[in-house]
Amino acid sequence: MAASLDRRNGFLEFIYWIWNELDRTIFTAIKFSFPARFVSPFGFLGMLTFIMFITLGVTGALLMFYYEPIMTRSWDSVAFINNDVPFGFHIRNLHYHGSNAMVMLAILHMYYQYFSGRYKIRNEVLWVTGVILGTVTILEAFTGYDIIFSERAELAISIAASLTNSIPIAGPMIRELAFGAGFHDFVLRFYAQHVFILPIVMLGLMAVHFPRFLVFDVPMVMAICGAMCLAGGVFPVDLGFKFEPTVPPGITVPEWYLTALYAFLRTQYDKFLTGVLWPALFIGVLLLTPFLDRYKKFSWKDRPWMTAFGITGISQILVTTYWGFYIPPDTTIPLVERLVIDPINLYLVMILLVPLSFGFTLMMIHLAKEAERKAKLAKANGPKKVSEIKLSIKWTNWLLVALLAFQVFLNIAAFNAFLSGMNNVNLWITGVILITFAGFFHLYRYAMSQSKNIPKPPKIPTTKLLESAQKPLSKTDQTKLPEEKLPQGQVVENVTPEIKTNTAELDLDKDPNLGMSDLKKP
Amino acid sequence: MSEQEKGPGGMSRRDFLKLLGAAGTSVAFAPFVPWGKFMPNPSSVTLARVPVILPDGTQANLNTFPVNHAEVITYPETADEVLNEEAFRKWQFIRLPEKFGGARKDTSSFRGYSMICLHLWCLWKYWPDEGRMRGECPCHGSMYDVMTGTAFLGPASLQAPPSNTLPNLDFEADSDGFMFISPPTWGVNSNGVVGYGRFA
Repeated sequence: MAASLDRRNGFLEFIYWIWNELDRTIFTAIKFSFPARFVSPFGFLGMLTFIMFITLGVTGALLMFYYEPIMTRSWDSVAFINNDVPFGFHIRNLHYHGSNAMVMLAILHMYYQYFSGRYKIRNEVLWVTGVILGTVTILEAFTGYDIIFSERAELAISIAASLTNSIPIAGPMIRELAFGAGFHDFVLRFYAQHVFILPIVMLGLMAVHFPRFLVFDVPMVMAICGAMCLAGGVFPVDLGFKFEPTVPPGITVPEWYLTALYAFLRTQYDKFLTGVLWPALFIGVLLLTPFLDRYKKFSWKDRPWMTAFGITGISQILVTTYWGFYIPPDTTIPLVERLVIDPINLYLVMILLVPLSFGFTLMMIHLAKEAERKAKLAKANGPKKVSEIKLSIKWTNWLLVALLAFQVFLNIAAFNAFLSGMNNVNLWITGVILITFAGFFHLYRYAMSQSKNIPKPPKIPTTKLLESAQKPLSKTDQTKLPEEKLPQGQVVENVTPEIKTNTAELDLDKDPNLGMSDLKKP
Repeated sequence: MSEQEKGPGGMSRRDFLKLLGAAGTSVAFAPFVPWGKFMPNPSSVTLARVPVILPDGTQANLNTFPVNHAEVITYPETADEVLNEEAFRKWQFIRLPEKFGGARKDTSSFRGYSMICLHLWCLWKYWPDEGRMRGECPCHGSMYDVMTGTAFLGPASLQAPPSNTLPNLDFEADSDGFMFISPPTWGVNSNGVVGYGRFA
């Protein structure tokens, strides 16, 4: 294997040339690491969010080939993509579930950073741009599901526009400038915002938001993409009903990331307060978090007030998210009564959640500290209790073969499903393929790191000596003849007599591991 | 460079001239840039006196249009049928019920209100049933007084003026009873702003 890779043909030479020339670009400033062992996905949720962004860019660009942002045609064009275009179903579902995954990953990413206090060590700019990015992500997802212009999309658009209208004094003007004057304009302008303006804003923010150290964990990326396909297979996104202006739309709820806001809107208090000021307050507090947090320590256990605030926020979000979804199923009571959430009820629950969350946080901190203390005691006195799975090389090989065979089977099954027109089964199996690949890659990675532990064969002293004697020779040779620069391999061949190096030993020294390959390495 | 004279503000002469150049350029071009004019859509502002065309294609006549009845009309209508589908161009053309004076054979027995509910822009419609005789929005139950267009129940009624009264159209009739829409003025103090409201 090593021998075949050593021989570089022209194409490979070209690739390596590009790789080396990247030294002159901004990419070398980023430390891009491929972890050689399992690492907790919490550490690189941001990277996963970015992967989703890329996936959405690709699938979205493909959808643009067929989608028509015209009020009377957009729903039909989406129906055409969904039902008639080959793989249109797949691409639309990946785009939809990718957007959900992106919002979810962004939220998880934010809360992980929040509770681990990562925003402290001069990371305030990262945090603030991250919060803005998250808001724009939700706007992006929102404009995305609006431009289908189904009944639900129409209601969502009208809520967005009338919330803008409700801004005192400048509201109607902002609405007309930004969204236009009617649903025809709204669809077209939301489209422009969805496919160009907001993504460009996001890219700009990302340029600031990216930290210098990035983790690209292949198995986890594959698993997330697989989960996206699984979700698409099990819960394929529906088309809804086409919006007809003379037919009033039925009851709909927005996407899950907006039902919390919807719950507040359903109290029928002032629109500006519930729909604009509350979310603005929430985002504002998040933006100010690094400046409000005065603790010197990082862990959530050492920052009880911040943790309690975070838990309160999460509990309120969870409760209102569910509440926004929930519409009493009893159709005998009038629609309005089913939709309206009693404001006293809602705000009372919101207030009640505060002491509950604070109590919960204090309890969790107490329990965690107690567990920490006990673990320390056990470490000092008791026996070491660390269990790990160890696979021999033989079993690793067999497992790799088995996973490969399983992938072959899955590929045939997916193809079969596609041939029989079972699009969602095909999508589901594709998800399983990706997840299997994630497992395969992880096992491979494990095997590679295990092979490092094989005891080295005894060294042959003569080889080393000759090698060290040869080095200065070739170096002087290169400095002497800069004009007629020959490929390095040839120079060595000319200058030194044939030396058979111990390739096995050299390979071991080289570290065959995949891990920690920066772009700077050739 | 080093012996450049500093002005009173600590600014070098060269910097001052640069600033002057930049300011002069922007001032010179500013009048030619119609700031923000690009953003609002101009297509919805061409207004004229047009006949009231009912969904069946005929012109409404106050002698034949039934009492306590409503139809959907499109205004301003365009040659583009996509734009005519626009909910913002849909109006309820209502002849009042008899108890509100709908039997009179003149334009005072007619009302035209924007169908866009002022709460969250669902499309409300007029219900002529006994005991209702009002505009009702199917989404969140806002109810509109058919005489004035002002919401009296539901979320739209809780909104501050002008967002509690529907924009309206004024009608004229010729000697044969055929009805026309008078050119409206879009503004909260006149015919109102569609989707926003009107001061009653």
